[in-house]
Amino acid sequence: MVPKQMFSNEVDTMTPSEFISVVNQTLEYAYSSVTIVGEVASFKVNQGKWVFFDIKDEESSVSCFMSLYQLRIPIEDGMKVIVRGVPKITKWGKFSFTVQTVQPVGEGNLKKAYEILKKKLGEEGLFDATKKREIPRGLSKIGVISSTAAAGYADFIKIFNARWGGTKIQVAHTQVQGMDAADQIIRALKFFNEHGEVEAIAIVRGGGSADDLACFNDEQLVRAIAASKIPVITGIGHEVDESLADLAADVRASTPSNAAELLTFDREALTSEVNTMIRRAGDNLLFQIDKLWKEQYEKTMQVYNVVQIKISSYQKELLDKIKILEALNPDKILERGYAIVRGEIDVGNVVKITTVDNEISAEIKEVHARE
Amino acid sequence: MQENKTLNQKIKELEDEVEWFYSDDFELGEATKKYKSAILLAKELQKELKDLQNEIEVLKEDFSK
Repeated sequence: MVPKQMFSNEVDTMTPSEFISVVNQTLEYAYSSVTIVGEVASFKVNQGKWVFFDIKDEESSVSCFMSLYQLRIPIEDGMKVIVRGVPKITKWGKFSFTVQTVQPVGEGNLKKAYEILKKKLGEEGLFDATKKREIPRGLSKIGVISSTAAAGYADFIKIFNARWGGTKIQVAHTQVQGMDAADQIIRALKFFNEHGEVEAIAIVRGGGSADDLACFNDEQLVRAIAASKIPVITGIGHEVDESLADLAADVRASTPSNAAELLTFDREALTSEVNTMIRRAGDNLLFQIDKLWKEQYEKTMQVYNVVQIKISSYQKELLDKIKILEALNPDKILERGYAIVRGEIDVGNVVKITTVDNEISAEIKEVHARE
Repeated sequence: MQENKTLNQKIKELEDEVEWFYSDDFELGEATKKYKSAILLAKELQKELKDLQNEIEVLKEDFSK
């Protein structure tokens, strides 16, 4: 806007509004985006909508203003923060720094902000275990949100490709650290949810400092993850790193590589499983053949045994009969000293006497009854 | 080759074929034929598992705006 200049006594003059407008244009031109690091003081929220605070160091203080909606991570007095925004003169002539983003700095401050937001979102039920959805392995189409230049993304893809195939992976390239990262990830989540083509969304990022991972504790991002219609898995940082994004996700993987593992079958393990299945079938086939052979053998042996018993029985019977027959054999009786007398027993008659050795003709001299 | 079936369907089919060997339906006369069929399916699966590739598409959308 070009200020209307008025000429009077050859001196340029302008109205207060024009002056403020010129100053704001100059500020905007010179400092379109400024990042300041300092300590928060006099933090307050007005009408549940507007946030006012000062950011200061030992010598100076800058008045800051922002909407509550833009306050994505809780801050409080005494907290060291990094703010990004634009300097401005208000229509009342006061200098103000209009904040676009604010983030705590340093592990202690981040931890404090994390705990405050965790409590708040937890009470709203964003982390409820009952809301978690399962994400099956081996999906046909997944979305990945990450920086394609990041090591964590490379790890995820490497493990995914090594373990499994046949999945269509759509990658949304976003920043995964810094003040813009949360908004970019939210846009990517929105994109996948609106297009509805993927069956799960993986948000992955490798390890980093607490400051690097701070964007994953952004309130709007955590809410977007919890509200996603498509199940979300996170693989952020290392095993020890826990972000609010992890807590809101349906599945939390400890690392990007672990996220890839949880989304895939292991083709090596499956190949081994296929081999095991075939071995099982073969083993059982051999077992059944062996079992059948044993059954047949046992049946044959049973028949054989029955026949053997019968034969033995017949043999014994036969031997008994032979013994009886032998006992009745007249020669055996003669051998014991007996003789057979044939003919009519009467005095004067001739009878035939058979002994074991001789045939004798003898005349009967005398006959009398036995006592 | 069973081109129209997914990998998961084929694995399930192989599982079912193997279970038959342990079921009451097992019949030695049929077993050799079934075993040959299971071997073929297993070989097909092994090849498919080895050859599977993922398709990676980096979206053109600019999420910084």
